[in-house]
Amino acid sequence: MTYIWYLIALVLLVIPFSAMVFLPINKSKPVLLGFFLIFIVFMYGPMMTMGVLSFQGPFGSMTLPAKDLGSLHWFTELRAESSLMVGVRDGITKSLWVSLVVAAITAVLSLSLGMAFRRQFRGGGILFYAILLSLMTPGLLLSLGLSFLLYYIGFNKGEGMLGYVPIIGVQAVWALPFGFLVMMSVFNRYDARAEEAARDLGASSFTTFREVTLPLIWTGVFGAGLFGFTLALNEFERTFLISGAINTLPLKLYIITSSSVLRPYVYSLGVVTIIISFLLIGVFLLVSAITGRKKALAIEEDGSGVDDVPSMTAAAASGD
Amino acid sequence: MGGSSAVVATTGPRRSPLMTLAWVLPGTIWLLLFLIAPLVMIILVSLWERTPVGFAAFSFSLDAYGRIFETSVFLDTLKNTIFRSLLVTTLCILIGYPIAFYLSRCVKTIKFQIALFIVVLAPFWVAYVVRIIAWLPVLGRQGVINYFLVEVLGVVDEPISALFYSTFAITLALVQLYVLFMVTPIFFQLATLDEAAIEAARDLGATPGKVFREVIFPLSLPGVLIGCIFVFVLVMGEFATVRIIGGGTIQSVGTLVNDYYTIPDLPAAAAAATMLVAVMTVGVAILLRFSKIREVV
Amino acid sequence: MSDTGLVLKDVYRVFPGDITAVSDVNLEIENGEYIVFLGPSGCGKTTTLRMIGGHDDPSSGTITIDGELLNGVSPAQRPVTTVFQHYALFPHKSVLQNVAFGLKMQGMDKTAREQQATAAIELVGLGAMMHRKPRELSGGQQQRVALARVLVTRPKAILLDEPLGDLDRLLQMKMRVELRGLQRELGITFIHVTHNQEEALSMADRIVVMGDAIIQQVGTPTELARHPRNEFVAKFMGDNNVLHGTIESASGGNVVINTPHGKVEVPGSGTAGEKGSMAIRASAVNISTDAVPAVNGVRVRLDFVEYLGDSIKLHLDFNGEPFLAKVDEERFGEVQAFEGKEVTATWAVEDGHLLEQ
Repeated sequence: MTYIWYLIALVLLVIPFSAMVFLPINKSKPVLLGFFLIFIVFMYGPMMTMGVLSFQGPFGSMTLPAKDLGSLHWFTELRAESSLMVGVRDGITKSLWVSLVVAAITAVLSLSLGMAFRRQFRGGGILFYAILLSLMTPGLLLSLGLSFLLYYIGFNKGEGMLGYVPIIGVQAVWALPFGFLVMMSVFNRYDARAEEAARDLGASSFTTFREVTLPLIWTGVFGAGLFGFTLALNEFERTFLISGAINTLPLKLYIITSSSVLRPYVYSLGVVTIIISFLLIGVFLLVSAITGRKKALAIEEDGSGVDDVPSMTAAAASGD
Repeated sequence: MGGSSAVVATTGPRRSPLMTLAWVLPGTIWLLLFLIAPLVMIILVSLWERTPVGFAAFSFSLDAYGRIFETSVFLDTLKNTIFRSLLVTTLCILIGYPIAFYLSRCVKTIKFQIALFIVVLAPFWVAYVVRIIAWLPVLGRQGVINYFLVEVLGVVDEPISALFYSTFAITLALVQLYVLFMVTPIFFQLATLDEAAIEAARDLGATPGKVFREVIFPLSLPGVLIGCIFVFVLVMGEFATVRIIGGGTIQSVGTLVNDYYTIPDLPAAAAAATMLVAVMTVGVAILLRFSKIREVV
Repeated sequence: MSDTGLVLKDVYRVFPGDITAVSDVNLEIENGEYIVFLGPSGCGKTTTLRMIGGHDDPSSGTITIDGELLNGVSPAQRPVTTVFQHYALFPHKSVLQNVAFGLKMQGMDKTAREQQATAAIELVGLGAMMHRKPRELSGGQQQRVALARVLVTRPKAILLDEPLGDLDRLLQMKMRVELRGLQRELGITFIHVTHNQEEALSMADRIVVMGDAIIQQVGTPTELARHPRNEFVAKFMGDNNVLHGTIESASGGNVVINTPHGKVEVPGSGTAGEKGSMAIRASAVNISTDAVPAVNGVRVRLDFVEYLGDSIKLHLDFNGEPFLAKVDEERFGEVQAFEGKEVTATWAVEDGHLLEQ
């Protein structure tokens, strides 16, 4: 039976793919646009459905059709004094604190590694691949290996403040490649002559870093930190086997879905986390848009950005 | 993919070796502690003996491997997991390539391109567990898909109960979770393509199909390759999606590792994880080898 | 209108947002000519080339080759091929595969196309590099591959967009001679775009000077150097001094212009009372310590002597405006002694040149 589904899926996918391969852009564009819209529905549809279902009344169910839409019942339910909800709220608080610390650590580590890779050094290649390795290591393996390490050194998981160390450790490792790549792209577009000038004028390397480098790249550092925050907030598999009693929100959600009878508060909780995540992306985009605009203005005043007609029209078309 | 030297910025001012060390050290220590050491531990523990609650360090034996290969369960699961990973990777190429192509080549202004790319990428920042949970109302017995099939289209009389808790549901959810790892590298590769090379090909008489086959696709291959490595490796190590959507009836190597861990049989969990790493390494090596061959030809 | 060669008639190109990139271009190019489009950045020369190549379409006007209308014809179907700026080689293909690409697209079988590609590669002197990838070649070699790649398809005209822009100066000089030699040997029309005056003068049969989206002047290198038509061309070709004033009188084929810096007499005709401008080439200006004559002479201060190897350029200050002169290399010691001092600049009437307003 399931093979029919795979067959349908494959047939549907062959259409846009062959349009892309065999048709000129102007003809394949409408097909690809249609496919793109279906893709957006595929990516957002489940979340949307979940969003709709979170606004059901007290008798709401886990599936369609939705009952008594327009109620905030399952959101107010999150504030109930039941042990379940107390645990959920505790999870949210812990997640936020952990994410904040991970954000700071990711920012600092990304900055220092970004600085390191501005010049070649021995072992740089290996270090570079080690950073990227973290992107490709399945979370469960990392969690498993670290739990072995903790067992070996006799570390008590999830106890006291010390219990947070491994959690923060793996989450920062997960966020590090993202923050690092942000810093790499910042330094790739960065003009080091300002620093050389500062050194020429007698500034020490520390003063140069504080007075020249840092002010020029702080949005990148902020971006790296924000990556750390959002990734840590949503991280689950890496902390799964090492958290002990410290249940961050995603862990709590996993435990709920795999053990209790599900009610629509799971959806409202999901909606809350989505809103937090998207707010953070919004903040990041806003900050980069503001700094981007400043740079664009500077280039405009300089007047050196335009060299031939096609690039002028590109600028005109993009509305600058 | 080139050497790492291509990625090193080398835009920085001169500095002392001590300064280099100061910048390198914190990150290196962090990676050693929380990435390298855990991975090394997995291999080591798989070679150590089991105790009732954990393992006896440095008591070497291959018993753990004996235990996981005792029945055919592990090998079958491994085969299924590999098959699932290859299937998801293929589907991700078929979906991700046209999406990346549309974004990078059909959307005219850079601003609009970036905006759409952010829209595509945004679900990546939504908690992974939440994205899995979001499939419940869609794929369930009374979910959206069944609703459409029965009520709107009328193609089936009875809701298909096998929709959730099925391998198809898992595949669908995995594709949705990981397709962004395919779209992103292909998008960047296509967006930085030398436009003049494509124009030159057209100028020399290439039809759209030939421009794609001779120029666009070969030049975007590194992006496809990186995407394949990401998706293949991450799906191989998957565990939560299979557990939640499979509802305990469907296994992956990841869920097996978790099962061994909860028994507890830590060396067996380690042995299963080591096998997983071995398969992933071989898979990545094959993909890289493939790219080398392409480069020579 | 001619039936042979490439003809541009009333060609306009207006980009969205009412940006006029090319305006009122009328040009006839004979088969086998070496034409150079010369102008500063944004003058419309590249847009014109792209319209000839089919990578852009005129907003109005027609482009024909040997009487055949090219408007709306795709680049692939046109009998013209482009050598792109920065070459646009296929980085994943070998030299041989790059050069054979056009023939492969025409459906030619492998042996035949490789044979022809090999011949083209040998023609540009890269026989030993046949199986290398573009990144393993120097800039000059990449340039030759790009050239071979279009030659092999036997186009009626080859379009070259800043073909020497990526090369260092010495290599540029070498490639100028090679390109020109190759063009003569093949007898194919070459249309070459550059912003480099020296390159244009040394290579072209005819130069098309573009500025502000229009053709400012079309002429042979000597015509352009000696008789720039207007102030734009005079200034763009370099080493020209331009003086503005009012025409005082016109007689005997000469006019006298009254400028703020004195009277000048130049060949030409005009009406007294109208505005008049003239250009005088730096190399036609003579420097002496004589008294200032009534016409065609100005008192200037010699600010700076620039030694150019084969000649000397004198930067003169003409009541706050720059004025240029060029003298023989042998006079270096003599003129250097006058740095910072007042001298007299004079020129012959026939060297002056009346500009169009």
